[in-house]
Amino acid sequence: MNLIKSIFKICGAIGQKFFKFLSNIGHFFIFFITAIFWIFRPPWYFKKIFYQIIDIGYFSLPVVGLTTFFSGMVLALQTYNGFSELNNETTVARVVLTSITRELGPVLTGLMVAGRIGAKMAAEIATMRVTEQIDALGTLGTRPMQYLIAPKIIASLICIPVLVLLGNTIGILGGYIIAIFKLEFNPNIYLYATVEYLQWIDIIQGTVKAAIFGLIISMVSCYFGFNATKGAEGVGYATTASVVISSVMILTSTYIITALFFG
Amino acid sequence: MENKSNNKIIIEVKNLTKSFNETMVLNDINFKLFEGESLAVIGASGSGKSVLLKNIIGLLSPDKGSIKINNVAMVGLKRSVKEKILLDLGITFQHGALFDSLQNWENIVFKVRNKEKLSNKDAKELAFSIIKRLGLNSDILDLYPSEISGGMQKRVAIARAICGNPKVLLFDEPTSGLDPVTGSLIDKLIKSAVKTVGGSAITITHDMASVCRIADKVILIDKQTISWSGTPKEMLKSDNAKIKDFIKSTNPKLFI
Repeated sequence: MNLIKSIFKICGAIGQKFFKFLSNIGHFFIFFITAIFWIFRPPWYFKKIFYQIIDIGYFSLPVVGLTTFFSGMVLALQTYNGFSELNNETTVARVVLTSITRELGPVLTGLMVAGRIGAKMAAEIATMRVTEQIDALGTLGTRPMQYLIAPKIIASLICIPVLVLLGNTIGILGGYIIAIFKLEFNPNIYLYATVEYLQWIDIIQGTVKAAIFGLIISMVSCYFGFNATKGAEGVGYATTASVVISSVMILTSTYIITALFFG
Repeated sequence: MENKSNNKIIIEVKNLTKSFNETMVLNDINFKLFEGESLAVIGASGSGKSVLLKNIIGLLSPDKGSIKINNVAMVGLKRSVKEKILLDLGITFQHGALFDSLQNWENIVFKVRNKEKLSNKDAKELAFSIIKRLGLNSDILDLYPSEISGGMQKRVAIARAICGNPKVLLFDEPTSGLDPVTGSLIDKLIKSAVKTVGGSAITITHDMASVCRIADKVILIDKQTISWSGTPKEMLKSDNAKIKDFIKSTNPKLFI
């Protein structure tokens, strides 16, 4: 009898968690639709959008640039060491180019921005929520979704694709520097191979990924921030959850997008 | 407790009930706020005073009952209409709720700037004209809320609430955390703000001296409901044990 009771208890607990999970997905979906609605509805807070673009785009560039630069360098070295029979200009250039433009550039940029900007967005909005600033906004004739959330989403959608394009260029440059100055490849052949293998589909795919990552980072971070509770602990939870879930969603969606483009 | 002047009803709360999960916070709350009247809501910490205010301004929805502002039922009202009604209200929150990414002058004129275009110079002048009345000087205008003391933040929040001369003022503990002199100054300002624009106010407070200075009418929330109501004079003579405790604990003469 006790055993049956325990089984029921465990099943109940699992069921409760499962329904809570479904309910959270439903809440996120409603938040997503509402946020999209407010992106297209005037008035647009251009000053706030501009500040967000500076914060997300300009101030993320050093960290994105450094990450992709060293990734390009590592890729060139590893390709050279790993493919001993194929360690020529063409192979190294092709591997660096394809890896950076298709996967490493967008994914590393997405993860870096999720860590830097996603955490900041979530913490900022969560603090505003727990200190009643969002409630106050609503009583002062301003819609929080339009004033706080929409500028962040718009700026993310603009900035992250640009960051990915710049990150890709810097990553390829990192590979070029290693290939020329350490591996002593012929610069003309390496450059020619890079340009020859550069395909529009790779750039388009990388940009599409970047835009989707921008949407993921801003939506997830704003959602957790906007729904924060329980004071300082809630702000901490919102920040951690936004980074973890954004990162997992970036890695999951990159597979889905790659499968759709090249599957 | 009817208003003697038979003025227009500004806020009417009827049978308001609110629970959180299984815990009932407010049960069958009824009162009216008339034009030109200042109402003080008193009660122990956690008695549901702030919850009552949040229900009135629509941040929380009551489980039962109705709330009318200027004869418009707020519960279930379309959001855009509700926002227009809220624009005519001046509200301060318990902890100020100032926007920490904006300078103090931007906080003060936030609502007015949403309604009409104001140059930075005009907006700053408007903000200064208000904070002067609150005993603050112009130095704090360009600072951020985090750069001024808690008492100053409270006054900036009050300045934001009264900016634009709203006809209905709702204050959640406006004098808590302030020294007695500044508290008294705030009380006078609330009183004059109500009189100047012929408006009405609801003030949530624990400060009995403040109640006597600002209120025409007092209600006590205890055990989820309004357990006592009357004028400040009636309050001072009341036999209600809770009221007596409140007066005793805030009147220093009674300790000597």
